[in-house]
Amino acid sequence: MSAFVYVTYIYTTPQKVWDAITKPEFARKYWLHYNVSDWKKGSRWEHQKGDDSGEVMIDGTVLESDPPRKLVTTWTRPDKSKEPSRVTYDIAEYSPGLVCLTVTHDALENDPAMAASVSGGWPKVLSNLKSFLETGKSENIWLTKNKG
Amino acid sequence: MTNKNKLTTEPTIYVTYIATTAEKCWAALTQSEFSKQYFFGQIVEGDWRAGGKIRYRMPDGSEHIEGEILNFDPPRHLRFTWRIVSMAGLKHLPDAIVSYRIEDAGEGVIRLTMLEEHPTPIDERLLGGGRSGWPAILSGLKSLLETGAVPKIAPPTPPQEMLDYMKEHGA
Repeated sequence: MSAFVYVTYIYTTPQKVWDAITKPEFARKYWLHYNVSDWKKGSRWEHQKGDDSGEVMIDGTVLESDPPRKLVTTWTRPDKSKEPSRVTYDIAEYSPGLVCLTVTHDALENDPAMAASVSGGWPKVLSNLKSFLETGKSENIWLTKNKG
Repeated sequence: MTNKNKLTTEPTIYVTYIATTAEKCWAALTQSEFSKQYFFGQIVEGDWRAGGKIRYRMPDGSEHIEGEILNFDPPRHLRFTWRIVSMAGLKHLPDAIVSYRIEDAGEGVIRLTMLEEHPTPIDERLLGGGRSGWPAILSGLKSLLETGAVPKIAPPTPPQEMLDYMKEHGA
């Protein structure tokens, strides 16, 4: 698999989706880890462990940043053992009050293990994101984190 | 990348996690009072036994999809043939197979997996229909089960290449 695409419709605004992806205070509520960067083109970003240890799980470079509509980053193993892959978040207002979020994780050809991991992980993260933005809750879904 | 006249058996899969029970998810998939709210207004009907019929009707009552139930294992697994009977340009297509699988995924959370299979190859340009439609349908289902309400999601416009295909086949 060279690309994984996941689409979800969320009853919220593009700005709230952008904030939920880019701000640790929101991401820690629905994502096991959170993302740290100033989100400017060319800046570094880090996917840090949610226990506040500062441990970097994934890192990379911001390739494109157009808040609150589009964010593109590389997705790199911190040990640089594989070529980076790439994640694109497209945040579109589908109709008033309804966002269509498309996450495309591609350039995975050189890292099949990462491809397998993210194709299982994105549906969990993005299901949680939708629940968080629509209901304010996602803690129950956290219990799925150790399950296939 | 898709190519005109290139045939494929590639499946479409969509996974979503929902804070609900398997029984409630099963009810939402098989009862029209729920399907009307999240399935673009469509009405699901079935004989609800293996070998029985399943139908999706348009909001005006006209038949849209019909099929035969292959696996019926409430509240875990429903698998059926999927034949489009309403749309010129698509109704000649071979049967697809659609299945819903519901698994426990933690306390109060289920994982719903929708699988659309094409045992008989179809033109690759048609895959975009399911790939744009299922996320909208199943996002609505998740909202309905978690919040009790689902504001309307209009059906996404089919990809241009699918419309082209339909035109070539009599639409």
